[in-house]
Order: sequence, then structure tokens, then C-alpha cells
Amino acid sequence: MSITLRNVRKDYDAQTEVLKDISVKVETGEFFVIVGPSGCGKSTLLRMIAGLTPITAGEVSIDDKVVNDLAPKARKLTMVFQNYALFPFMNVWDNVAFGLKARKMDQADIKQRVDEALKMVNLTELAKRKPRELSGGQRQRVALARAVASDAKICLMDEPLSNLDAQLRIKMRQEIYALQRKLGLTLIYVTHDQVEAMTMADHIMVLNDKHVQQIGTPSEIYQNPANDFVAKFFGTPQINILNAKRSQTDNHVLDVDSDLEIALDEEVPAENVKIGIRPDDMKVEAAESVEANATVKNIEFLGDETIIYATLNSGEDIHVVVPGQVNYRIFQPIKVTADSNLMFFDADGNRMNLSKEAYVHA
Amino acid sequence: MLKSPAQSTPTSPLSVEKTKNKIADQEAKFTLNAKDKYFAWAFLGPSLLILGVFIFYPMVKTLYLSLFLTNTVGKTTVFVGLSNYINLLTSADYLSSLGVTLFYVFAVTIITIALGLVLANLASKRLPGIGLFRTLFSATMGVSVSVAAIFWLFIFNPSTGFLSLASTFLHLPQIPWLTDPTAAMWAVIITTVWMNLGFTFLILLGAMSSVPTTLYEAANIEGASSRFQFFHITIPSISPTLFFVSIITLIESFKSFGLIDLMTKGGPTNATNMLVYRIYKDAFYSGNFAQASAESIILTIIIALFTLLQFKVLEKRVNY
Amino acid sequence: MMKKFTAFLKTYALPIFAIFALVLGLAFVHGSRDASSAKAGRIPVVFWHEMGGPAEVQLDKMVDDFNKSQNKYEVIPQYQGVYDEAVQKIIQSHGTSASPAVFQSFDISTAQMMHSKYTTPVQKFIDEDNYDTSNISSVARSFYSNKGKQLAMPFNTSQPVLYYNASLFKKYGVTPPSKSPSYSEVTRAAEQLYKKSHHKVKGMTMEIYGWLLEEALANAHTSLINNGDGHTGNPTKINLNNPTTKKFLTWIRTNIKSGDFVNYGSGASAETNEIAAFLAGKLGIFVQSSAYIGQLTTGNKNKLGISYFPHPDGVKANGVGIGGAALWISNDKPAKTQRGAWEFIKFTQTAKNQAAWQKATGYLALNKNSQKTKTLQDLYKKIPAAKVPGEQLASAKPNNTNSGILMEGMQLTRELEQTAMETVYNGGNINSALNTADKAMNANLKTTNKADGR
Repeated sequence: MSITLRNVRKDYDAQTEVLKDISVKVETGEFFVIVGPSGCGKSTLLRMIAGLTPITAGEVSIDDKVVNDLAPKARKLTMVFQNYALFPFMNVWDNVAFGLKARKMDQADIKQRVDEALKMVNLTELAKRKPRELSGGQRQRVALARAVASDAKICLMDEPLSNLDAQLRIKMRQEIYALQRKLGLTLIYVTHDQVEAMTMADHIMVLNDKHVQQIGTPSEIYQNPANDFVAKFFGTPQINILNAKRSQTDNHVLDVDSDLEIALDEEVPAENVKIGIRPDDMKVEAAESVEANATVKNIEFLGDETIIYATLNSGEDIHVVVPGQVNYRIFQPIKVTADSNLMFFDADGNRMNLSKEAYVHA
Repeated sequence: MLKSPAQSTPTSPLSVEKTKNKIADQEAKFTLNAKDKYFAWAFLGPSLLILGVFIFYPMVKTLYLSLFLTNTVGKTTVFVGLSNYINLLTSADYLSSLGVTLFYVFAVTIITIALGLVLANLASKRLPGIGLFRTLFSATMGVSVSVAAIFWLFIFNPSTGFLSLASTFLHLPQIPWLTDPTAAMWAVIITTVWMNLGFTFLILLGAMSSVPTTLYEAANIEGASSRFQFFHITIPSISPTLFFVSIITLIESFKSFGLIDLMTKGGPTNATNMLVYRIYKDAFYSGNFAQASAESIILTIIIALFTLLQFKVLEKRVNY
Repeated sequence: MMKKFTAFLKTYALPIFAIFALVLGLAFVHGSRDASSAKAGRIPVVFWHEMGGPAEVQLDKMVDDFNKSQNKYEVIPQYQGVYDEAVQKIIQSHGTSASPAVFQSFDISTAQMMHSKYTTPVQKFIDEDNYDTSNISSVARSFYSNKGKQLAMPFNTSQPVLYYNASLFKKYGVTPPSKSPSYSEVTRAAEQLYKKSHHKVKGMTMEIYGWLLEEALANAHTSLINNGDGHTGNPTKINLNNPTTKKFLTWIRTNIKSGDFVNYGSGASAETNEIAAFLAGKLGIFVQSSAYIGQLTTGNKNKLGISYFPHPDGVKANGVGIGGAALWISNDKPAKTQRGAWEFIKFTQTAKNQAAWQKATGYLALNKNSQKTKTLQDLYKKIPAAKVPGEQLASAKPNNTNSGILMEGMQLTRELEQTAMETVYNGGNINSALNTADKAMNANLKTTNKADGR
């Protein structure tokens, strides 16, 4: 079952615009992640698909049928809430059976479905427990089992892992992914965590500031971000964005400062350009003060790699990831260079496709 | 300095046991010296005095009176043991009072809770102008018993009352609200429910608004009708509050006095002669203190049973 | 820290306790202040009464007049709420400094007061003063006396009378009841009024009130209890299920069946409702205390008619007993104070004071000479019907059946009478309702006698 949004808009009132002109198609059986910082309207978008929040303008279709005016229950989907929305007074089994009972399904059918769903999420043993007697992860599984037991082929998840600790989050991530694949669900998953988006999604929609920033596969989004926001949102540590100016002397050259310049094959098309360099695409070497273009500010050793925090002579802060362990002192002058995977953005942050591979030198 | 047991960290279950014993020993040896006793009495004295004068003495005196006959000036004369109780519990009159009271109490409780639920459920919807209805529904909370009684006496007045005029206008049969035994009982029930409703409504509305909205959203998505949601989400979610309000209403109804006194004086044909009103009449109208005392003890036992039930059930139900 | 706290306690524990005790003490002391507020040199005479509204205003005036008329005593009136509750207050406070020297207690508490032995019978002072009681209504006096001895002096006194809306009867061309009507006469008048008004006016009502039932027995010369309604000896047997009670209830039943009767129930609200209906012209006849005459004449556009309490057919009217309350003297006060109380009682009985009392309150003037006063003559000129209750009172010759029922536990007895009346009004069997009442009343009487060791 596919879901199509056409020019969807949401205003809470005349002054408060929440979402603008959202269009996307989610294909059948796809794991689709909506990601964005908090307050970007991603949960609202999900609730609009579910039918819990009315749409101001535009169209939501499920399998090419417009469902704008359809009640939630008529949309044949399930939803997993951030707080799981478990009924505290019912045991696990009854929680899973709730929707089936509400739809007045046959008793035997209910039993079979609930038992299967609980088995699938490994909760058979805990069927008689009340939610308060379960750990966070177990509660999460009950919520999943509820989605599983329902026959609906569309599942919406609203930040389902944000109440779990880091270890459990990784485990549940895998379980949800496996479940989605096994059941062939069309899954729309809302999160603010770029790692969840990267690791699970077939396609990602990046939302910010009422607008869709980019829709694409994880690798497209990482390697070809549509703008500096998307570039900054994905990847840990964050991408370095350096402000540069077209050189006065050579219009093929971008100057970050006098000690860091980038030569392009083509003419620099704008006066001001932002340069994005992922931390692991930079190189660092110890240098004499004369040669150096940066100073070490801090060093974090992570075991397999080291993050070097440095200040460029221009005053801009950068961070560089280098493999293994390095021996730099704080305040030691260094020379930073990069020669591949550079991204260029105009003053508004939009991606500039500058054709030739660039070179950075001191 | 002696190392306190709490500071030593036990390393094995055995040492935990030992520590416990140590504390027990210390407690056993703990005695008050003379000075401490002085302070203990200084602090306990006033409250003991008040409790003694206003609670314990009347309680014991009531129990004592209930075992005697009292003469015209209320003095005990003949010891009769439990015969006051036996007389009461075998008297058709008293048993009818008991039955009337139970009917009233349960009718008031059930109707109050049912109406309170309906109104709270309506008012918990997010609709324009709902604030006005919330205020209206809870308005009877500030109404005193006497005002309520007078207000409803006006409505029930057989010649000039609103209900009488309305039924004349609509050509319906006149109901003799306060003179027919069955109708009088319902008149008192209606008035009591009307008075209770404001409080019950507010408490239930509060409980309903603390139910997480995601529960209803989840149910909406799963296809539950609003009826199904009311009975399978709202009711179980507010069940501790519901039980609490029911018991409070129940016990308060047992103690209903003002309304009865102002509206029916226990009549007609004792149809509204509740236990509390009976006690008042027997003691302060008829001067039969012995019998009134026995009735008080019986009523105390009945209310205590309901209170006990409340605690027992609340223990089990509050934490779902 | 702990030390400081202990020191604090040492310093303040006792003072705190002392203040607490003082507050408690003051609360108790407060009550006795009124008695000591009498002017210097006068003996305070605390007077408890249960008169509210216009009656209280008139009573306070009477007290004030008494205090001004002499300089030996000062009567201090204190309102004590309704009759039923005041009885218990009087009895329970007896022998304490808070008790009254003279108090007003209502008709049916007479036996209780007598048996309590808490009062000095006024006969003692009548004898001492050779006070002439012949001018005071004999049927009122006999209510508060036992075996020729006056226990208390009647004060506010009323009798039940039959009120009818004379204008309505004229309008529909129905002959009103005669001055001393029989049951069938009242039925005839009520039925005709109901029919000729095309059911717009209800014929009659009779409040569910034990007093009215007892008066029906009195008027037919029938005892409710043995030993001359308690006047010749301690009662041991109650007999409500007698032919007279049955006649009375059958009479009402007849009217209920014809549809001309309206039931307003019992208690104060019943009285309010019947008077409201009467004044609104929706009710033709009702039987009620003569004390309501004030309410029925002020603001009534219709002409008020008053007849005597009805009597059964073929039975000569015996005259009804009284209702209201009497003034009693407590025996827990010094002789001087008791004397002051008696002086005040005598003052309340003068022709002038009784006339003013009747005019202001509707209660009947007890002193025969009151009728000749200008106050009452003027009143009768204005409202001729107001004369009838006084005539009914004067016409009654006291005997055991119309001098009240001298038995303890009359409040409960009345309750049971009323329950029986309610049962009958609501269609229950007359015989079984009366038997039920008799059973309960006799059981209660037996317990009372046992408790009193009789």
C-alpha cells in the first residue's frame, strides 16, 4: 500500500503555519523515515497521515484513494506512539487484543493473532503482566505487537525509540527493521535521530522550517545533501562549514583566509561561498608556525579514532577525525588540508554543483 | 563514639540479620526518662484532652446508654442488655427505615455517578463554549442544603410549583411529590442528586482529563467506537476516582439529614425516615435516648463496614 | 540543634499549655454572662421561650413592660429555637447555672415536665396569693393541670378552627358550613364547591397532623388512652383504633374519593402550601390552628369565614382542647427568683396584655375580660370572623377528653398517629393502619413505664 502526499499544508491558525507544500510518494513495503529537528512539524505530518490531525490544504492518498475526510479507523493503518499508549489497566495480552476486540473480531481469530504477535516480539511469557511491570523495551515490544496483530499493512511510528537508553535503542532498531521486512509493512517512521534514519530507511525525508529539505536514500542524502542544513544534520561529528570569499587576485580561487585557499577548475560563480568538508575528509599534519594554518584546541581520543578540535587562523572552529591515536599538544600549530569530497553551498545554503574536484592547500 | 548500624555496610545476608537484631535490641532498651515523659505529656496532653472530651467520652457514653432504658429526663434507669438492639432489629418499623435508607443511599449513589459520568464525558470534549457548560454543571457545588431544599420545595409545590404547572399545561397527571410515599422518596433522591452532582462532576472531569490523549488516539486508529472507548478506556482509567466518589457519596448519603428535615420530616408514612433522621427524632423529639443510642451504634457499624470496604477495595484497585 | 529545641520547650511548653487552657475555660464561662447582665439591685429571671417572628417582638415588649412596671426583678428573655428541641435543652440543662428560671414549654410536653419533677407547680403561688384564676379560660387551665393542681400557666393558646373562603362560596352559590358544622355538612360544602367550580377549586384539606386527630377525638368526647386520657392515673393502654377515629378517617376518605380533597402532607411545608393555595383561591376549606388568623387576614382579597372544629354526625360537639404552650417555673432556682418568675407569669395573664397578645399574634386571649377591651373590640369590628375562635374557646366545658392527653412520649405518639393518617390518605386500610399504630404506641408506653419504674 502506497501513500501519496500532494501539496499538503497545515496551519493551526492564520498566523501559525506548521507545514507548507509537502509532496512525497511512499512506495508499498518501503521503510520511510521522516527526520528533522524538534518542532519541525514531523509528528504533525505523521498525525495528518493517520487522520488524527486535520489537513489545512492538499491531499493525502492511500493507494491512490484520497483519504482526507476518512476517519483514522477507516484508513487501515496502525500507529506506535512515543509513549506507547498502552492501557495501564490491561495486561499485555489484552493490550494487544484491544483493537481486534474493538473491531468485534471473532474470539478464536483474536486469540490466534495476539498469540502470534506476542511470539513475534518474544513476549509470550509476559502475556499476563501489566504494563507497569514491564521494562521500557518490553513496553515498546507490546506496542509493536499491537501493530503486528492488526492486519493493517501501513504502520506509522512516532519517535518510538526515544524513551529507551542507547543500548536498547540499537537492539530495538534492528528488531523493528526485521519486523518491517518480515511483514512487508509500509512503514513511516518519525525520528529526530539521524542515526536511526540512516540505519533503517529506504528513503529519508528531511524536514526543517516548514519545508521538505530533501528526499532520498540514505547515501544520496549523506553524499549529496541538497543544502547545508541537510549536510549538517547527517554525520557525526558534524560536517565543517567554512565561509569563503572569491579571491581578489584569482577568480578560480576561494579564500577561507590567507592561509587556507581552495583552487577550482572553474571560475567561482559567487562572491560568498560556503565550503562543507566532512571531518574525516580532512588531513592534519604538525607544522612550524610559519607553515601552519590552525591551532589545536582540544583532542578527544575515542579508541579507534581521534577527534581534533582546532581553530583556523581565520578564527573559525573546525574538527577533524583521524584514524588511531595522534600526539598533538593543545595550542600546537598544525596544518589542515583536504583534497576530496568537498561540497559548496551558496550564501543561502543551497548546494552549488561545482564540476571539478577541488584542492585545498595552505 | 558508637558507630551507628546504618553506617556499616553489610557484606552478607548474615550480617544484615545481625544488624537488624542490634536495632531491635536498642529499641527494646529504649525507655523514657522522667524529663522526656514530661514533654511527652505536654505535647500529647491537649490533643488527648480534646479527643477524650469530644470523641472518646461521647462514644463510650453512647454505648453505655444503648444498654439501658432512659426515663423522661434522659437518665438511665433499667439495665436491659442488648434488648434495645433486639427490639430495633426485630421491629418492622426500624427495618423499613433501614430498607428505605439503603434504597435511598444506593439510588443516590448510582444516579449521581451515572449522571456525573455523562456530564463529565460531555464536558471533557473540546468544543467551543464548553467552559460555560463546565461552570453550569459544577454550579450546584456551592449550594447549601437549605437553599437546595427551599428551591426544590418550590418546584414540588402541589398548587403553585413548576412541576405542577408544567404537568397541568401538558395535560399530564399530577404527581403528589411530597405527599405520596414513593414520589416523596424520589423527590428527596432528585434533590440530593442535584446537590451532589456539581462535586461529582468536577472530580470525574478532573480524572477524565488526566487520561493521556494518546490512549484515545490509539483506540481511534484501531477502530474503537466512542462507546467502546468510554467503557474500555475512560471507565477503567478513572476507576479509582470513580470508586472514591462512589464511597464518599454513599457515606455522605447515609448521613443525609438537612434535606430530609426540611423537605419531608421523614414522611409520608415514614417513606423517607432515614436512619440518621430517625436517631435525631428519637433522641431530640421523643427524648428516647437509649433507643437513639442503640440506633447510633448500628449506624456507626454500617458506615464502618462501608469504610472498611473502601479501604480494602482501594488497596487492590488504586494501582492498576 | 536538639539542645536548642529542648530549651525552647522548657521555656514555652507551659505558657502554651496555659493559653490553651485559658481559651477552653473562656469558652465555658461565656455562656453565663447574660444572667449577670441584670441591672444592679434587681433579681435576674432568665426566661426561655420559643416564639419567633411577630410573636417574639410582642413577647419582648411584654417583658419590657414588666421590667418597667416594677424594680425588684429583671426578666431576661432568651429565644431557644423550636418547641421539640427546647424541651430537651430545658431538661438537660436543669440544675446547672445555665438553666432558666421560667420557661415556655409546649402542650404535649406537659406529662414529661410533670414527671421530671424539675418544676414548681404554679398552684403553690396561686394558693399563696389567693390568685383568682376564674377569669382565665378553664379549658386552657385544665390542659396544664393534674388532679386539681395547676402545674403551669397557659400562655400562647390556640384551638383548631375551620377556615373557609366565604367569597368563593358566594361566587359559586354554595352554602358555607354552619358555625359548628358536622362532618357531612363539611363534605357537602366541599363537594359542591368542587363541582360548581368545575374542579378549579379543591373543596377541602386536613393536614396530616396528630394534633388535629386528637382534637377530633376530644370533640367527640372520646379518650385516646385509659385513665381519663391520663388525668385520673398513669396511662397503661392506648386505643387509637376506636369508632371515633374511624369516623374521622372515613370522613376524610369519603372526600378523597369524591376528588374534592387535596393532600398537602405534614409539617411546616404542608401548612405553608395549604395557606398559599387557600389565599390563591384554589382551596375552599381547611382546618388549622386559630393562630394563623393573622396570616389569613392580611393581604387576603377574599372574605374569610371561620367555623368551629367539625364534629361527627349525631354527636354533640364536646368542644376541642387547646394547643400552644405554657409557662413553667424551674425548681432549681432560689425562692426569690421563683417568686419573680411567678410575678412575671401573672403579668402575662392580665386582660390588657392578653388582648394585645391576641391582636399581635393570633393566639387566643385567655383572660375573659380581654374580650371587652378596646383592642379586641376594634379588631372584631374590622374582621368579624376573628371573634369565632374566642367563642369556641369560651364555649368548651373542660373534661378529661378535651384537656389534652397527659402522657409522656407524646411526640412519638403523634408521629405514629401521623403515620397512620398518611397510610389512610394514601389509600391504605383504616383498620390495619390504626392497629399498627396502636401496637407501636403501646410498646412504647410499656417501655416508658418500665423505664420510669411504674
